[in-house]
Amino acid sequence: MADADEDVIPRGPSKGEDVDLSDETQDFRFLTSISKENATIPKRGEKDFESHGTALQSNTLAASRQAMHNALSFQRVHQPKGLTVGHYHPETNMAYSDNPKGPLFARMGHVRSAKDDPLGDEDARRRGQRLWFLPEEVLYLIERGTLDLRWPPLDGDEGQMGLPMSLQAAYAMFIGDEDTHDGALTLERYSVYSSLKRSGYTVLRAPSWDSPGPPLSSHCYPPSPQRTWQPGFFSTATLRKLFFSQSSDQDEQSQITGPIIKPGLYRDYATIYKRLSLIPFYDPTTATQPSSQNDPSTDPAFRITYHVWKPGSPKFKKSAPGPPDFRIAVINARETTPPTLEQLGSLLETTPYDAPNPEGQMNANLKYGYKNVILAVVDQGVTSYLRIADAAFGMEKVYERKAQRGGKRGGRGGGRGRGRGR
Amino acid sequence: MATTTTITEPVPIFKLAHRYLLYDVDVVTYLRREHNIAGVFIGTLPQASQQNVFLGLPLELMPEEARLLVEKGAAHIVDDVAEHKQNFLAKGLGTEERKAYQAALRKQGLGAAKEASKKSDEKKKNALKKMATENWNDIPDDMFDSAPRRGRRAPQAKQEVPATSSDVSDEETLFASSANSFPASSIISRTASNASTPGLEPYGVTPTTSYPPLQALTIDDGKKDELPVVPKSYPVYRHLHDKGYFLAPGLRFGCQYMAYPGDPLRFHSHFLCNGMDWDQEFDLLDLVGGGRLGTGVKKGFLVGGEQPSNSKINESKEGEKPEVRTFCVEWGGM
Repeated sequence: MADADEDVIPRGPSKGEDVDLSDETQDFRFLTSISKENATIPKRGEKDFESHGTALQSNTLAASRQAMHNALSFQRVHQPKGLTVGHYHPETNMAYSDNPKGPLFARMGHVRSAKDDPLGDEDARRRGQRLWFLPEEVLYLIERGTLDLRWPPLDGDEGQMGLPMSLQAAYAMFIGDEDTHDGALTLERYSVYSSLKRSGYTVLRAPSWDSPGPPLSSHCYPPSPQRTWQPGFFSTATLRKLFFSQSSDQDEQSQITGPIIKPGLYRDYATIYKRLSLIPFYDPTTATQPSSQNDPSTDPAFRITYHVWKPGSPKFKKSAPGPPDFRIAVINARETTPPTLEQLGSLLETTPYDAPNPEGQMNANLKYGYKNVILAVVDQGVTSYLRIADAAFGMEKVYERKAQRGGKRGGRGGGRGRGRGR
Repeated sequence: MATTTTITEPVPIFKLAHRYLLYDVDVVTYLRREHNIAGVFIGTLPQASQQNVFLGLPLELMPEEARLLVEKGAAHIVDDVAEHKQNFLAKGLGTEERKAYQAALRKQGLGAAKEASKKSDEKKKNALKKMATENWNDIPDDMFDSAPRRGRRAPQAKQEVPATSSDVSDEETLFASSANSFPASSIISRTASNASTPGLEPYGVTPTTSYPPLQALTIDDGKKDELPVVPKSYPVYRHLHDKGYFLAPGLRFGCQYMAYPGDPLRFHSHFLCNGMDWDQEFDLLDLVGGGRLGTGVKKGFLVGGEQPSNSKINESKEGEKPEVRTFCVEWGGM
């Protein structure tokens, strides 16, 4: 648990109901049931089809609007006890705090080394404690009322503190002024960041945040077959493959000249079906890493923006985050068209190879794919998450399918990346 | 509405990085009530910060919404970045203004601190009372009132925090005796100079808007505001808005706008709308797909466009808006 508040996260909908409440405007009168302790997500508010001019209806609407007004009028105040004061650094469009307090900071902010710290290394002890926050981090912390951010002090201000920065000013600076700082934070990216953070995920910028990113590493390709060769020892799988491929070569020869299926003795259907599969198919396991350095050729509009870790993931450490659980590309729906195969292909190329469980069910495996990425499509503040996977239909042999036990549906709903804080 | 703050048009719409945002809750509710503009909340609610069902300020407006308000003269666009840079980073704000702003914030902070200590006192009192009534029955109620040690002494006259419940104000009169009271200004200067005074330390306040200290400027130099750039579906947006619909971004349903017959707080949407050029060609499959989807979610799939005025015939009616026609597709499923 990163924060005491996270205990208040409503834990999923009641069983059997798969309704995403944030899909629709909800009645703010139900907000009170969330803010209180042992909160549950409200049931879908009852809505009407159309206006029928009754006093009841207009009164309910007025009450809802009033509840909304009250909820929105909430003022962000900071108790002097647990106060974290931040300072805006206009040159880098970031902010820093010398005394961050609270569990939230275990997963946010970073300490700069002496030569990277924009404030220099005058006081090494303070630098060691000073946390720097990226624009999206500051904005999120201000918005949730955790950080009291100050403008740089001017002459005539009391003490060393500048004026408190308002939420509006924070948006104006950290998003509006990113252009002049060559920053890449947009309102869409921030919307996705904050909605993931609200759900409890740990979110960090991906290396391809504002550039094509590093050259494709070996993680992006299936493990090369050489690895299964161990000195002085052939694994049975390799041996079988060796013999099998030989015999299939012979088969191919005879198929060209003779019948597709030679008359003979067949003990199972699989052998026959295998010979019938003549059409070549896409096999992601055969991709190999080119020997020369391979820079990603992604379209700037379709690049991985964030690396995301599940809430409470024990593997995550700020100093060594480890491989992320999800990779998210933020896309502005108003400025881009649906991606072409080429754009998607080069985007998927930059994601690591992640093969499905070979023992898994066919449907689940197809859905899981060999590489995957999550697209967060933002249309004017409304975000939809899509999971795109590099599926290989030819790899799942229908004729090899084992008898299925239990229900037909395999896998969890892979398409919905929208987290519930779990 | 209980909260009736007078809003004077045109209201400012803040533009940053080509997005249009609103921060003032009164403006937001005003536009919702008077202009049928709902927008999308994109901010975190600080009182419920770990959920995505209810979101808070700021409110993001579609460029269409901003354009409509500007065209109506109900709003004007403010370049928020330049405004803030000039006033807070350069010395746009005078020393006096800064001082006044700080004082105002401190006052708010003090109010918040008071509220909080009052609440905790109340809690303590209730707990004590509960404990006591279990044991003794004839102890005067006054005994459980906590001693006036927490500087709950500022006179009530200029309090901004509304005393909501009646028992709170009762309690207030109990301690607002002249013996304990200080002028408000003395408290402020004391807490500012020395934090260890027994007086209440003001809470830090992060205001939502920057107005004040910034002053809303009214542009009267005759110069027309630059109109927000809108997609070509704007005529349909304006047409439906004129008919009283609330429109929301519709990508969730694969369309451009969702049309609500009233406030989305209260009503389900009726139409999935797509705006097109009059002569624009599109796939019949889009019509089928849209129609099926719309019917599947109990909404109508609506396509509309602006009928080009035939210049030869309508020359006399110059200045009149060209007619927008809309068509609704429903899947019969016969």
